[in-house]
Amino acid sequence: MSNPDINISRRSFVEKSATAAAALTIAPGVFLHTVAEAKPAKDAVTDAVRWGMLIDTAKCASGCTACVSACNTENGIASHDRPRTDQQWIRKVTLRDKQTKHEISLPMMCQHCENPPCADVCPTGASFKRVDGIVLVDRHICIGCRYCMMACPYKARSFAHETVDLTVDYQPRGKGTVESCTMCVHRVDEGGTPACVEACAEAEHGAMVFGDIKNPDSEISKELVKHGGKQIRADLGLNTGVRYRGI
Amino acid sequence: MQQFQKRMHNTLITIAGLALLAFSAFAFADEDSSEKPSFAPEVPHPTNGSTECVQPEDEMKKNHMNYILHQRDQTMHKGIRTETYSLKECINCHVPKNSQARFGDDEHFCSSCHNFTGVSIDCFQCHMDRPMGSKPTGKNPHGAQLTPTVSTHGASNE
Repeated sequence: MSNPDINISRRSFVEKSATAAAALTIAPGVFLHTVAEAKPAKDAVTDAVRWGMLIDTAKCASGCTACVSACNTENGIASHDRPRTDQQWIRKVTLRDKQTKHEISLPMMCQHCENPPCADVCPTGASFKRVDGIVLVDRHICIGCRYCMMACPYKARSFAHETVDLTVDYQPRGKGTVESCTMCVHRVDEGGTPACVEACAEAEHGAMVFGDIKNPDSEISKELVKHGGKQIRADLGLNTGVRYRGI
Repeated sequence: MQQFQKRMHNTLITIAGLALLAFSAFAFADEDSSEKPSFAPEVPHPTNGSTECVQPEDEMKKNHMNYILHQRDQTMHKGIRTETYSLKECINCHVPKNSQARFGDDEHFCSSCHNFTGVSIDCFQCHMDRPMGSKPTGKNPHGAQLTPTVSTHGASNE
């Protein structure tokens, strides 16, 4: 760390090569800006960014579960063959208008609220919002009371009823605690994109856009300016980080 | 009187002799224990060839828990993901890939000492006790991969 010039040039080299690789392999725009914003591992996250997601329900294909599968694989979520109590970080929901019979399909997960009710009710401080807007459970101090599951209007959280057989080391999970979508925080901290967004792009639907909603030049901000994005249950005043189009 | 002096002299010699014997016994015992402790558990050393830990060995023996605890909160709440004091890196360095030893076994890096000292920790109720990519523990009989299904919750935007 004695010569900062060396590190800067090395970082810009890595950024350029990573950007070039991403442009070749993945739909344009998904990686480009996030790679440029990758923070060094030793730096703390700041409130200069707020991570968010924009989901276009018109592009979300009915019956496609690419995002759900990707989430399960990424975070090592396995079934116990008991659907009512299996953990679920993201789920597909179909909405049907009873009059017109028009159906829309959308992925539903933690909405990463600015004012998260889960954090309000948590008796130990285990539910919290990181300064960059990602809502997490600190399972080191979670006592498994499940108040947050009751408080969440989006039914986004699950309780681990049984011993977890871990398959990944970056996402420790265990019996007796509450868990939910982390917006793939382990990827985001390294400048990556959540697994569901990546899977959606790979399935050639491109219904999900991830990015910094505080940065006016990010893809998500431009999309939000152009098309807008609705909050689910906006009346609750939670200012969600996940927005939807076409609902 | 002369007899008393002689007895005294003999006693002194005996005491001196015993003291010398005891001292030499301790001296030899010390030499022995510095070569090989007979009672402490063998702690498995890194398998990647590195000989130095992130702090001197004595410091790590006494204070490793403080380093890990500090790093835990830094990572969880601030997103600081340096590797030096992370539990994941302890495991990656000290537990051989595809090792059959699980936490709780005497051969496992962490439990080799924790079993001996009788200190129970709950790190590995959630964290992996082996490097990623190793075989799953098979402790969970229901560990099938979740098959995603489309749920149609009774919501309608009527």
